[in-house]
Amino acid sequence: MKEEKTPLVIAVGDGASIPDPSDTRLVTAWSISVTGALVALFCLCAFSPDPYWTILKFLPDGIIVTFKITILGILCAIPIGFVTGVGRLSRNRVFNLIASTYVEIIRGVPLLVQLCFIYYGLGRFVRMPDLMAAVVAMAICYGAYMGEVFRAGIRSIDHGQTEAARSLGFNRAQTMMLVVLPQAWRTILPPVGNEFIALLKDTSLVSIMAMTNILQRGREYATRTFQVFETYMMVALVYLVITLLLSKGVSLMEARLNYYDRK
Amino acid sequence: MLKKILLLVAIFLLSAGVASAAVSKLTAASDCTWPPMEFIDANKRITGYTIDYLEAISKAIGIKIESRNVSWDGIFPGLLAGRYDLVASSVTITEERRETMDFTTPYFEVRQAVILPQSSATNAIEGLKGLTLGAQIGTTGFFAIEKLEGVTPRSYDEISQAVEALYSGRINGVVCDDPVAADFALQNKTYADKLKIAFILPTTENEYYGFAVKKGNQEVLDLLNRGIAKVKAEGTETQLRQKWVGQ
Repeated sequence: MKEEKTPLVIAVGDGASIPDPSDTRLVTAWSISVTGALVALFCLCAFSPDPYWTILKFLPDGIIVTFKITILGILCAIPIGFVTGVGRLSRNRVFNLIASTYVEIIRGVPLLVQLCFIYYGLGRFVRMPDLMAAVVAMAICYGAYMGEVFRAGIRSIDHGQTEAARSLGFNRAQTMMLVVLPQAWRTILPPVGNEFIALLKDTSLVSIMAMTNILQRGREYATRTFQVFETYMMVALVYLVITLLLSKGVSLMEARLNYYDRK
Repeated sequence: MLKKILLLVAIFLLSAGVASAAVSKLTAASDCTWPPMEFIDANKRITGYTIDYLEAISKAIGIKIESRNVSWDGIFPGLLAGRYDLVASSVTITEERRETMDFTTPYFEVRQAVILPQSSATNAIEGLKGLTLGAQIGTTGFFAIEKLEGVTPRSYDEISQAVEALYSGRINGVVCDDPVAADFALQNKTYADKLKIAFILPTTENEYYGFAVKKGNQEVLDLLNRGIAKVKAEGTETQLRQKWVGQ
């Protein structure tokens, strides 16, 4: 289990690296990557429109589905994560065990296997629409990750806060909703943003369900034209531009939330 | 010391000379998810019509041909990158593919079959309008449904996934090569009760399988063509067709 000391920053491994909001220099890893990716995209399309521009025109509906799955997935994962996080910290043995078992199981099964299971395996018994199956799989998987984020976030609030609220007559639920959570949000939101980016990248896995996404569109193009290098180059650049812009967004959000920490 | 060096150089030259003399072994790539043409049997061995055909060629030309299981959407890039000598995976010879690869003489004729639920009354191409159809990514079946007007095409990694999706009602139909369609819709215990081959997609030109080699690899192409000619002449092709496809 985790150490008992309160963590100040929640480290999550699989998201994009978030640029440091206090870094005001012009040349950073982020600015180099984003400029490089955009220049590469632009130059390839401008100077060699066939095949690059043709490939890029093939991708947009994939981008839309990618975002649909990501946004719906994260919206469902947040409440699941909250309940799980609270459950993992709960003194109610049953609630705690259910939440912990859920996290153990989900973290132990690769997302691709979960997708196969829900789409093909469960598909024999319950037939969900494709988008729903994708969102459910993503929400269940990321709900578990998000549970860890919530747990660490709630833990990061000094226990004195709870004690003070309790002695002032708040019950447990009120303490959580009115005192702990509003403070914990500041720690929780940046890693939630991080998970958002990680989920966006993981949507490439729904190719297994034959769902249109950026990668699937690319593969369809590549298997027909054999322009393998060109296609995957464009797919990679599109993903890169999207995740880089999003990670900047998360960074800006982090900066706003750290308002009180500024010197 | 000098002797040793000379000896080493001699050995090196000799071995290099032997290696470039002739093709001693060929490696073939197959996407083994395409029964009865190429698939993995219960003993985890690669088997099927294509594999037997390769073996017959191998006997005819006296060169060992080794089979490898490679996933479909990476199979042609792998050939172009020189990972194996030929693709033996029910590859239809098309003009687009000819631009990047060379093909042997045809060894099998196929048509595109439409698999529908048994309850479906559709029996012609006009009835497919408004339906969602599945096929394996990068196959002529998928290219065909991409071109059909009013049809939503879905590209699955493997044909078995498309058939499973049809079975559980996620899509309305599947299009693939007729021997494969027959294997899933007629012979498969699970699917035979619910699915049927509704009709064959009408085409303007016939479809033939060929073995694909890297463009310009005349040596292997000649070898294979010689083998195919022998297999056809000896009547082995007819036997194999009987054994695997039943026609």
